[in-house]
Amino acid sequence: MKQILVIDDAATVRLYHRGILESGGYRVTEAVNGVEGLERVAETAFDLYFVDVNMPVLDGYGFLRELRSRDGPQPPAIMVSTEAGEQDRRLALEVGASHYMIKPVRPETLLACARLLLGERSTP
Amino acid sequence: MALRRRPPAGTTTQDERRLARDFAGLVAALDDPDPTTRRWAARDLEAHREASPALVARLAVETDVSVREVILTSLTCLGDDTAVDGLIQALRSEDALLRNGAIVALQQLPDAVAPRMEALLADPDSDVRIFAVRVLESLRHPRVEDWLLEVIERDAHLNVCATAVDLLGEVASPRARAPLEALKRRFPDEPYIQFAADLALRRIGEV
Repeated sequence: MKQILVIDDAATVRLYHRGILESGGYRVTEAVNGVEGLERVAETAFDLYFVDVNMPVLDGYGFLRELRSRDGPQPPAIMVSTEAGEQDRRLALEVGASHYMIKPVRPETLLACARLLLGERSTP
Repeated sequence: MALRRRPPAGTTTQDERRLARDFAGLVAALDDPDPTTRRWAARDLEAHREASPALVARLAVETDVSVREVILTSLTCLGDDTAVDGLIQALRSEDALLRNGAIVALQQLPDAVAPRMEALLADPDSDVRIFAVRVLESLRHPRVEDWLLEVIERDAHLNVCATAVDLLGEVASPRARAPLEALKRRFPDEPYIQFAADLALRRIGEV
């Protein structure tokens, strides 16, 4: 079963994303900020990250910047934000995001994006 | 006899920073090419009540992240009208890191932010309204729930309401029940609004 790490400081968003991703057959781990996300990464080999941009302690940019500076496998990462600005999107891609989504994300879009980045064409 | 090593030319040492420096000198140092000099100047200007205009002006053009962080901290400590207006102006920046820093700074200034919150939540720019809701996330102020309820009752923008309902899930009291139900009726086809409002309603029921 593919493992996905959802990092978001909003408990509601984490629950929402978890429910959708688990309904798609994925195993989901949660983290409340970038630092906790890096701790989870040290424990588990994830296949995909869903990363909120704005979080206390360490934001999504900081998390990805740190992650991408490391050696080893680099799973895809989807950045999720309420901000739709072009610069936000560009910065996300610059720090290593594979895709940028605007909140709130519809369930079918979230799952389709996860499947695409995980190299899956059909239901897992 | 031990040799005392000289600092490299062009660097600012702890000792230099400790030298008595007047307000005009510190303001001038904010434009120094060396980020370390600018950082110390921004730090020391925190002690000058009249420093906010200079710090706000520098914040608008500063590109060094560490200097920017110190400016934000100094503006938070000063917390006067100019500082708060400057931080609010930073919410309109295209620079996401600056915006995030301004949000965190404003969260530390509940009494200064409160009189401006209604105007922020009515801003024509929906992004600014979203940032205003994010300021509320950690704003220790008794009106936080009132403001959030006004947002979910009045704001027509999906993302603004979604951001507000996230937070209401944590702070809502039983009086949020009717506005949350109304929000669900306003956005019947938005799965996230339905999910977040239901979650908030369940939490209210558990209170």
